[in-house]
Formats: sequence, C-alpha cells, structure tokens
Amino acid sequence: MKALKSLLDRIALRVNINLRELEFDVVPIARHLVPLKQMTKFYAFYGITPNHPLSLEFRHSSLAGSYFLGRCRTNHSILYKTDIRGDELQIKGDTFTFGGHSITLSEDEMIDVQDSFLVKTLVHSYSHDPESRERFFITNTLSCHYANIHGSPIDGSFLGPFATVDLTTMYDCAIGAYSYIQAGEIGHFQAEPGTVWARSRGDFNFVYKHPVERLKTYIHFVPGKAPSGVFMDFLEARKKDFERVFDVVNLQKPKGIPANASLDRYAVIKPKMHIAENVLVAQRAYLENSWLGKGANAQENCYILNSRLEGYNVTAHGAKIIDADLGRRVFVGFNSFLRGRPDCRLAIGSGSIVMPHTIIDIDQPMHIPEDHFVWGMITSAADLETNSMPLADFARIDGRLYRGNLLFEGSGEAFVTGFQKRIEHILLDNGALFDGKRYKGHAQRNQNISVNTIQPYPEGRLKGLYPTIIIQP
Amino acid sequence: MVEPGEPFGWQTARRCGVTDFKIREIMVPLSEYATVREGATLLEAVLALEKAQEEFEHYQYRHRAILVLNRAGRVVGKLSQLDVLRALEPEDASNAELKQLMRFGFSPEFIRGFRKRKRLDGVPLQNLCTKAAGLKVEAFMQTPSEGEYVEVDASLDMAIHQLVVGNHLSLLVTEGEAIVGILRLTDVFAAVFHLMKECQLT
Repeated sequence: MKALKSLLDRIALRVNINLRELEFDVVPIARHLVPLKQMTKFYAFYGITPNHPLSLEFRHSSLAGSYFLGRCRTNHSILYKTDIRGDELQIKGDTFTFGGHSITLSEDEMIDVQDSFLVKTLVHSYSHDPESRERFFITNTLSCHYANIHGSPIDGSFLGPFATVDLTTMYDCAIGAYSYIQAGEIGHFQAEPGTVWARSRGDFNFVYKHPVERLKTYIHFVPGKAPSGVFMDFLEARKKDFERVFDVVNLQKPKGIPANASLDRYAVIKPKMHIAENVLVAQRAYLENSWLGKGANAQENCYILNSRLEGYNVTAHGAKIIDADLGRRVFVGFNSFLRGRPDCRLAIGSGSIVMPHTIIDIDQPMHIPEDHFVWGMITSAADLETNSMPLADFARIDGRLYRGNLLFEGSGEAFVTGFQKRIEHILLDNGALFDGKRYKGHAQRNQNISVNTIQPYPEGRLKGLYPTIIIQP
Repeated sequence: MVEPGEPFGWQTARRCGVTDFKIREIMVPLSEYATVREGATLLEAVLALEKAQEEFEHYQYRHRAILVLNRAGRVVGKLSQLDVLRALEPEDASNAELKQLMRFGFSPEFIRGFRKRKRLDGVPLQNLCTKAAGLKVEAFMQTPSEGEYVEVDASLDMAIHQLVVGNHLSLLVTEGEAIVGILRLTDVFAAVFHLMKECQLT
C-alpha cells in the first residue's frame, strides 16, 4: 500500500502549493478523510450504453467504489466512491455561442482528473468554461464527502464536505463545508462554510450566509476529523441499505415501473414506492415510501422518504426530502435538506423554488405557498418569514435587497427567469417531458446500461491502486 | 555654504535657532500626562484624561491621548480619541466583513447601503457608550512603534522628521530606558511657528 500512501501525500502537497496564498493546509484533512484500508476494499465500475461515447483511461490511480460513464481519464488520482457521470458531455460538432460567435467543438469532451483526491464526490454536466469546452479538467484538487462538481472545471482547489461548485471555473480556491458557488469564474477565493453565492456578472449577485453556530448542528468539519452532524448521521443510518445493491450482481427490477421511467440499478428502492412515467432515479439515490409523479426525478445522492412529489419535480444532486408534500414543478436545489416530521409535515406549493443548500427542519407543520422562493436556514415560522418571498415579488427587485443574512444586488427578474429557464432545461434533459416520440432524455436513454467492474492490486506495494486500464469502444 | 554631510536647510535652521530648542523644554512631562494601568476600562481612561486636563490647564492645547502603563510603570500603549471612538463601532460592520463583500463583487453603492443599514439596525449610541465604557483599554490601545520614540537629547529637527515620516500625533520621549514625557505635534508646531515668525523679523 506504499504507493497509495505516497500518491495521497503527493496530491495533498500539490493542492497546498496552489493554496499557499490563502495559507490553507489540506495535509491534515487529506490524511484523515478516509482510512487507506477502505480504499483497497471496493471495486470500481463503469457503464456502457449506445447513447454515450465511451473512452476510459485510468493510470496510476485508486478508484475504490467509483463509477464512470462516458469519456473520462484519471491520472495520479484517488477517487473514493465518486461518480463521474459523463452523460451530458458535449460531442464533436456541438456548438456553443460566446461573444456573439458560434464555436464548434473539435472533439468529444472528456472529464480529465489529474493529481486529485475526490471523496464521495459527484462530477456531472459539461464544462461551461468557454476556454476549455473539450476538456472538463479537475486538477490538483481535494474534494470531501458529498461535494458536487457540476459543469465546473477546477484547478488547485479544496471543496469541503457537502460543498457545491456549479457552472463555475475555479482556480486556487478553498470552499468551506456546505457552501454553494455559482459565479462564472473565480480565483484565489476562500468561502467560509455555509456561503451560498450565485452571481451572473452584470445581472445579479446573491449571497446568503448560513448562521455559523446553527449550521454546525447539521455539518461540522474540522481538519483531522471526519465530518459530523445531522447530515452525516442521516446518511450513516442508511448506509447498510446500499450494501445490498452493490454486493448483488443481478438485482431484480422492482415491479410496476413504467417503460419510459428509469431506475438506476445502484439506487435503493424501499417498499411502497409509486413511480410514474418519465421518472428518473439516478445511482446512489434512496427512495422509501414515497410517490413520484410524472416526470419527477431524484438525482445522485438524493433521499426521498415518506413524501409525495406531484410531478415534474427536480430534486437536484444530494437533496433530501423527508415527510414532505411537494406540488408540481417544485425545484429543490443541490444538497438541500427538507425535513418535516410524521406528525407535522412540510408542504411546498406548486412552482416554488428552493434555493440550493437550503435547510428546512421543522417541528411544527409548515406550508409554503405556491410560486414562492425559499432560501437559507428555516426551522421556524419566523425564519420562513425572513427567508422566503413570492417569486413575483423577488422578480420585481431592481437594485438592492438586504434581508436577514441575504444580500442581493441587481435584477430580480434576471435571477428568477434564469432559474426558471434552467429548471425547464433540466426537465427536458432528464426526459420528464417525453411524449412517446419527442423529448427523449436521461430517463429514456439511461434505461439499459451494462455495468462492468474493475479491481485494484490485491496485495503488495501497489495494493489499492489500479493497473493502467484503457477502455475504448 | 552647506557643510558636507549636513542636510539641506540646516544652516537656515541653525540661524533661526531650531537646533537651540530642547525637546525637554517643549515636551509634556509624563507626570502631567493622562495615564492608566493595564486592565483599566475605557471609562477610567477617559476620566484620567479629564483629570489631567483639569490639573494642568496651563497648557494651551488639550491632551488628546492617554498612555497605558504596565505594572512596572512602563508605557505599553497609547489610546487616542480615535481609538476610544473605535470601541463604539458596531461589530457587524467590521472591515473584514466589508472587504469580503467587495470580494463577492458587490458595487460600492451596495456596500455603502449595507454599512448604513447595519448602523440603523444597530444598538442606540447611548447603549453603545454604556457597553464601551466597560471595555478594557488593551483591546483598543496602539502599541508604540519603533519610530515613536525619541531621545530627550535629540534635536528638534530629528523629532520633526519622525513626526512627519511616521504620520504621528506625538512621540514618546526617552531618557535611557525610562519614558519621561510626550512630545506632542501641537507643541512642536507652536515652536516651529514661533521660529518662523522670528526668522521673518531678523
């Protein structure tokens, strides 16, 4: 296991070089994030489908429990239980517009992971960096448990547990636990834990900061220790349910699933589920005793328990919905944690938008009216009053809003319409709008994915590392 | 004719008598200055300032600072009027927070609005004063830097140089290891002003 240890040390030092200006030390974090023994225990696996270009290349890497789909290369990296989901990568001939010009991709896009250590991280979407459309790079980077790297090329950075970087190119940044960053391009920036930042230059700037002490109840992370708090307790309590889906080779498909819905074979589906047409359930999603109406989706690391989603709901990567009733077209952003109680449910009206990284945790019944925008930390009616607003009112902001821990500058209309358009895109991409002929999406295309497994060296100096493997069509 | 090694203007200064002024003659002796011990509150510091002013009111200009002494009677800090007012600043509007807002890319107008709002949301001034009165002087005093000390036998032009280059309002005057007085900008200015008038007349 010597080679694995030295690889880990090398990655941490490379990240530190990039973060020296911020004086941010990842060495104690990297050494205690996952015991090395764990990295030798699990196989890695990759999907084959006729719908996505295939090209995988693994060199001097450890890939324990990780999943690959599409085109990906890893070099001198450690990926632990990480999902590289390349089903939205762009292909040769696709075009994008920048500065009024249309530019064509010269080759198929590839996710390129170099000198990085990713733990239980999700990598998805495609590079939104106009300077690097063919290469979605993740280099010299350390990301912790349940981080999301979504359409965001990254170099020399650190992502704390449950952090999300969305549609942002990032250089030499340290993003604290449970922070959400969607800012176009940033460099040499440090975000404190619980920072929620969405910016579109010239249009709007949204910054919310979770109250530090209250956030620690949900996620607490200090170097040298594993992350702790309500989020981790919730996930640990359900960890065993995943063992079965990963241990058994041929799982029986649940009955009563419509032909145009997609349930990933690495999702946990517990009894009393209703799955309607065009539903998409991604790997590592967890469903129990819930109703998913037509076109609803549950993306990677989503948990939906004892809840009802009426239809066309987007539940983004890592969101959790417990004891809740959601109307049609409710959007729940990345890593949000919505928890009612069996005797006091949470109800969210149709068309509402729950900002990424929102926490709603209640012990009194709560009803959020339809077409509302909700953000931040909400554990009482008073919090809801401060941290929510009808979408129409938010769209009327033209200038500034200071409200609780929220700071907003710019056009509320640009913010709201931008969000709504993106939700429509997600529904379209996921196949929620499939009518039998048109608008095929992930729910239809990801139905039949063959999965192969690959294994590391079992003993000796290279224990835990995978041999060089190249998989081509 | 300027002698080699002598700064320009030295002859004029010598002719007009700048070098004849002794720091000892124009400094405020430590015994007449407002002082408090480490551990004192801001209120005690302000009362000491008031007392010093009453006792030594022959000075043309009012004292504007309080010296903080350690147990051995050595000066360890200086508390200016600005330092006292700093204690009234709302914590939320700290510079660090405002700097961070700029890093997020908010406009200067937005930041001004944020600052104003923080003030409006803040505690009334009377309450801030009550709270600040009990705070310890160590939290707000400035530790003198190397350039804030001047020997009692040093020439006045050297002291002027230190005041100007360091942008100081006063210097601590030393005699050996001990601090024996304060050389205030206002007293130096009065001396220089006097000389200017003298030079004009001769």
